[in-house]
Amino acid sequence: MRYEFRVVGTVSETLAEAFPEFDSTPVTEQTLFFGPVTDEAHLYGLLVRFQALGLHVLEMRELPE
Amino acid sequence: MVNRTGPPPPGRRCLEPSGDPMLAARFAVPPLPRLRVHRPALLSRLTAGARGPLTLVNGPAGAGKTMLAAAWLAESPVPGPAVWLTVEPGDAPGAFWAYVLEAFDRHGVKLATAPGRPTRAAGVDRSFLVRIAEGLAESEQPVVLVLDQFDADCAREITDGLQFVLRNCAGGLRLVLTGRTDSLLPMHRYRAAGALAEIRNADLRFTVAETRLLLREHGLELSAEAVRVLADRTGGWAAGLRLCALAMQAGEDPEAFVREFAASRTTIADYLLTEVLDAQPPSTQELLLRASVTDPIHPDLADALTGRDDAAWTLARLARANAFLEQVDGSAWYRLHPLFAEVLHAHLRHRHPGLEPGLHRRAARWLAGTGRLTDAVAQAAAGGDWQFAAGLLVDRLAVDRLFTGLDCERLTRTFAAMPQGLPGAAPAVVAAACRLAGQDLDGCVGELRRADEYLDESAAPATRLSRALVGARAGRLSGDLAATGQAVADATRLLDDCPQLLPGRRPEIRALLLASQGAVELGAGRFDRAEARLSAAVEACDGPGTEQPLCEALGSLALVELVRGRLEQAAEHARGSLAVAERSALLPPRAAGIDHLVLAGVATEHDDLATARAELDLAAASAGPLPEPVAAAAAAVIRCRLATAAGDLEEALAEVRAPGAAAHARRLPRWAVDDLAIAESSAYLAHGDPGAALDLLEAAACDRPEHTVALARALLAAGHRRRAMDLLAELPADAPISTAGRVRACLVQAQGAAENGSAREARRFLRQALGQARPQELRRVFVESGPCVRRLLRQDPQLARAHPWLPSGGAGHPARPGRAALVAPVTEREVEVLCQAAQLLSTEEIAAALYLSVNTVKTHLKSVYRKLSVTRRGDAVRRARDLGLL
Repeated sequence: MRYEFRVVGTVSETLAEAFPEFDSTPVTEQTLFFGPVTDEAHLYGLLVRFQALGLHVLEMRELPE
Repeated sequence: MVNRTGPPPPGRRCLEPSGDPMLAARFAVPPLPRLRVHRPALLSRLTAGARGPLTLVNGPAGAGKTMLAAAWLAESPVPGPAVWLTVEPGDAPGAFWAYVLEAFDRHGVKLATAPGRPTRAAGVDRSFLVRIAEGLAESEQPVVLVLDQFDADCAREITDGLQFVLRNCAGGLRLVLTGRTDSLLPMHRYRAAGALAEIRNADLRFTVAETRLLLREHGLELSAEAVRVLADRTGGWAAGLRLCALAMQAGEDPEAFVREFAASRTTIADYLLTEVLDAQPPSTQELLLRASVTDPIHPDLADALTGRDDAAWTLARLARANAFLEQVDGSAWYRLHPLFAEVLHAHLRHRHPGLEPGLHRRAARWLAGTGRLTDAVAQAAAGGDWQFAAGLLVDRLAVDRLFTGLDCERLTRTFAAMPQGLPGAAPAVVAAACRLAGQDLDGCVGELRRADEYLDESAAPATRLSRALVGARAGRLSGDLAATGQAVADATRLLDDCPQLLPGRRPEIRALLLASQGAVELGAGRFDRAEARLSAAVEACDGPGTEQPLCEALGSLALVELVRGRLEQAAEHARGSLAVAERSALLPPRAAGIDHLVLAGVATEHDDLATARAELDLAAASAGPLPEPVAAAAAAVIRCRLATAAGDLEEALAEVRAPGAAAHARRLPRWAVDDLAIAESSAYLAHGDPGAALDLLEAAACDRPEHTVALARALLAAGHRRRAMDLLAELPADAPISTAGRVRACLVQAQGAAENGSAREARRFLRQALGQARPQELRRVFVESGPCVRRLLRQDPQLARAHPWLPSGGAGHPARPGRAALVAPVTEREVEVLCQAAQLLSTEEIAAALYLSVNTVKTHLKSVYRKLSVTRRGDAVRRARDLGLL
């Protein structure tokens, strides 16, 4: 499955490196991360990683294949 | 007051149960930073919470959870001795409890009952938890246990165990959990009972006033507006504020920082961390980046990663600066703030692409040098250096850790990612062990063969020994005695060449080898020698770390004694094995629940079928998916006898054929095959089908005396009395046969004599059988021998009275407690009628078969119903079987 996460603020390239499995694009005052999520454990792990970096996740959704 | 953990007392070996050095960091209450804001309201909420069983402190990373808990222990009235433990994500349940006990120990909490020590990763058993709960309940003051970083990724078994202890400790435990996520404990229950205190992110947020205090602590005086903006933009996030303060201290103009910060469009963390990192000199930045691959960080390890020698000084300076690095009290280790560690990691990948694997490898080598085997393996695996990871396990003779021990799960998970077919002996041996741990016997044998291609006389002794140890285990499980014997011989030869095995060290390896030798002897049917080897294995198990082999050796020893028919010794060893397992909180699968199996076997011989069934259930519950073939066969024989006793021929046959059907990959020794055949023939005989029993035994010809006795029994039942008697007469008096077998032979002879009309002869044999069976109370043999033997006993009331241990129905008196007595003895004729009824014949058919009138049959049946206190035919048959009448 593929997911998209919408995060508050413009995330620098360096910080985005904390998510090597994801692509990211800045949009106005937000950053989109999208990429493959292996399973539910991975998904929760990602959420924890976002939180650990102080990133506030506004929205997440599964992308159509 | 908190008892701070200093260095461990001298003389005390500070080892993890797995044998690796324990990390003192995890037991230490984190030191409080020099500069901080007092938050009395939150502290008193914690104190109030600790009057109840459970307090939660939940919030995101850097919200100040750990600091709050540490400040509480240091400054507030805590209602009892306080114990601190930092939980590592992914701790296996066994490891978790081992750490909890160690934490109790180090913080000076003595439990009234010693709960033992878990030695197995996958969990602890109920009785271990019961003893902890009991110990806590008996302590004078409640113990306050702070579990720092207790998060949802803890194993379910850990939270279940904690919940169990908390519920059963009679208020002897006050749990304080800090974590980023809600744990899996059933919070709703505690919440509903008003027994849960919660401090959540909204409570932890710094208010504007607290923000001002924090900044003032750092020597920063800002305008009210700037403070409000900071509090607002960071959302009161403690880590953010702290990093802001650091950045402002380093900068010239704090107000300008706030303006810039407020206008910045980047995320707070990103902005701050870049700012904080960039404020450090380049050499420090480099050190931090490189050290971020390990957690926690040791100065020497950091030096190994940078190739410099300034880490001790730099790390101490950073920790004093009070930001993102803290020194773990009482040790030389440092811990990075999780937030900061993540970002450093990202920076490392960004600034030095491709450097990370090399760093992991260097860390692995440093950790291996200090004896932290599991951590070293994990680092080597992270660096993709599988040769080093596998070589480490092999060289340290620690391949066994893939099967047992607290790190077992972590290690197997690590090696699951190892690519297949790596060249070299060590990866092949480790791969074989992994396959074996995953119950894949064929795969294991294949990997072992691959290992052999690399191994010759010039290979390192430790590598060859490791290969032999895995080979011996694989051989035992597959029943390949030749391979086991070869492997054990190889290993024994190599023992003296391994410097790791100096006398007094690693006793479990010698014990394991002796136990494997015992398994070979048992398979070959040389029971005396098997006993000698296994006893030696038990003696070799002395000292910590030998619980697992001791338990296994005692279990095998119990099985040997059971097979030889020495019930008392068998039961004693089985109980010994259970006691060891209990004491050390070992969990199945040990040797396939072999101890319960042996107890079931003993109970069966005693004709205590209820106990036998209960023990069998326990054995099945604790059995691993792949017991040794000998144990599987023994289990099948016992199950078959129980099914036969319950009158279920089909199940009896299915049980006895199961091990044979699974034998394509696993070889059964000949004597075990014969035992299965004998059990099967017994089932046929009990079902009244001597022809089938005879065919079976003749087809599976064997020169064991037990086989001869079974054959004679079947012959007699099939009406070939003369041949049966001749067979038994030829049986030498000193034949190596179990007591039960000899008793059975006497009973067959007694029966034969009775049929021949020589009552005196029959009585002589019966007396002989009773005399031999008495010391061990072998009741089942008499019950299985059928109505004829009971008839003989009834004809000789004096003899029956002399043997009160006999099963009820034998002489018409109930010998067993716990079962309702018969109203009156059932007569022989009634038993015969009941026998026919048991074969589902109608009243008319019974009458025809026994040459009686239909009315007489009905009279007999009625009187049987009355004596057995039942009302229906089916119940009568069942009850008669229970009482051993049929």
